[in-house]
Amino acid sequence: MNLMLNILLNVIIAFLIGTILIGLQRKIMARIQGRPGPPIIQHLLHTLKFFIKESAFPKTAAMPFYVAITAMLFVIWVAAVIDGPVTEGSLLLIFAIYTIQKIGEHNAGSSSGSPYGKMSCVRAVYSAAAEVPLFAVLIIIYLKAGTMNISSIINYQSIHGPLLFTIPLAAIMFFVLILSKSQYSPFAITKGKDIVSGYETEHFGLLRGYLMISESIAWYMLLWVFLTVFIGPLSLPAYLIGMVVLSTIVAFINAVTPILNPNHSVMMQVSLAFIGIAGSIVLLMI
Amino acid sequence: MVVSILGSQIIGIIPLGDIVFYMTSFNLFMFAAALAFTFIIAISKTETQVEAEFGSLGDREIKVAKKEFKFRRFLAIICGLATAGAMVTGDIFDFTLFVCLIGIVNIGIVGAVKQIDVLDSAFQYGLIAMIASTPLFVGASLILAATGTISILAINSLTYTTPMMLFGSILLFLGVAGETGVAPFFATKAEMFRTPGSPFLLIIHLSSLLVIVRVIEILLIINKPF
Repeated sequence: MNLMLNILLNVIIAFLIGTILIGLQRKIMARIQGRPGPPIIQHLLHTLKFFIKESAFPKTAAMPFYVAITAMLFVIWVAAVIDGPVTEGSLLLIFAIYTIQKIGEHNAGSSSGSPYGKMSCVRAVYSAAAEVPLFAVLIIIYLKAGTMNISSIINYQSIHGPLLFTIPLAAIMFFVLILSKSQYSPFAITKGKDIVSGYETEHFGLLRGYLMISESIAWYMLLWVFLTVFIGPLSLPAYLIGMVVLSTIVAFINAVTPILNPNHSVMMQVSLAFIGIAGSIVLLMI
Repeated sequence: MVVSILGSQIIGIIPLGDIVFYMTSFNLFMFAAALAFTFIIAISKTETQVEAEFGSLGDREIKVAKKEFKFRRFLAIICGLATAGAMVTGDIFDFTLFVCLIGIVNIGIVGAVKQIDVLDSAFQYGLIAMIASTPLFVGASLILAATGTISILAINSLTYTTPMMLFGSILLFLGVAGETGVAPFFATKAEMFRTPGSPFLLIIHLSSLLVIVRVIEILLIINKPF
């Protein structure tokens, strides 16, 4: 298939599946809490709606930085799709993309001048200190498989079996990272409802639409990375089933746990990352 | 000859005398990201922070003064360029120099702010950054002593890891963690982000995260577990 067509197709798939999974997650959470909840396609409808809404810009915003940051966030997640499902390239590159998206969260918040966005910005700095070590758990994969190339990791698993069973602590830590990026999670301090919508509060219309597309692609990519590097070669239906199962588990956790205080959230994630990295190294040495 | 680093093929090498830059898709992406953000910072205005005024219904606006703006923008651009350099350098000593420069300009970016809490935070971060420069350079020196080279490409071709290389790597990581103010040192740095000047704060955060990702790559190249 033509490379550009392949990229376009994968980005559209990532967006559509990501947005439907976020909708599914909200639906499951609502049912657990005894509410009817929004339709599963609500997140998709919201995203499309923002593209036909008027775009307003706060007079206090840092221009053109305020606009550019949403475009950058979108571009880096498209880059993640290219490096992931399209080319099965470097896992280290996805790690880099993940760290740069923290910059998006940070500066989408602070660039508007809103106190809510600023609070989200400071929380993004705190949460980066916790989430980056969690993502670093992927180093354990290198220690086990001997490569950071995704296609080589898939080949390794097709010969030696899923890494989920050989380095389970690393898989759990990565799942905690996925949990922290989900909406309404106990670790979602950058978008806590105590600060309205966090870093998205002051982005309207088209800009908000781009932020929501990025959010959907990010969710899809995190699930894709988990399934690919811990379970191995999967068919398209198996990927879909895996993503639905992971989203359902996340929805159950989020429905029954309150959001944590930022300090507690960070300390818990850092502690889990430490246990994950140290425990996995000990398991590898035994 | 096809050279690969951690499974990624090298796209190109730029030799500038003793200084060698190399690029894989990973390095190239981070280099491009650092330059793109630096460009946006260079052309952006700062935001105006709006806060509720105590004892009345009015708002209080906090702006960045023009003189302060010029000074901080200059340092932010230097920080962006140093970060971009740290992403592609193929030399451990150059990498440590870039990291040191990032630490110094990070303090400078908030040093011009007239807010006591922010200055206190910058002072504490400055102390940690200064202390961290010792393990940073000692780590690089030990790696040189153990391998006979500071070229990452040359170390990549080595097939062994000695305990001294491992010890040097641990010191290098501690040095980078202190210089960039990441966990467990992030508490000293987070307060710095309360100040206005969003584009300049971006580069402080961006440089820390990108350098940490790069140092992980370097440490994986030095320490081969198989």
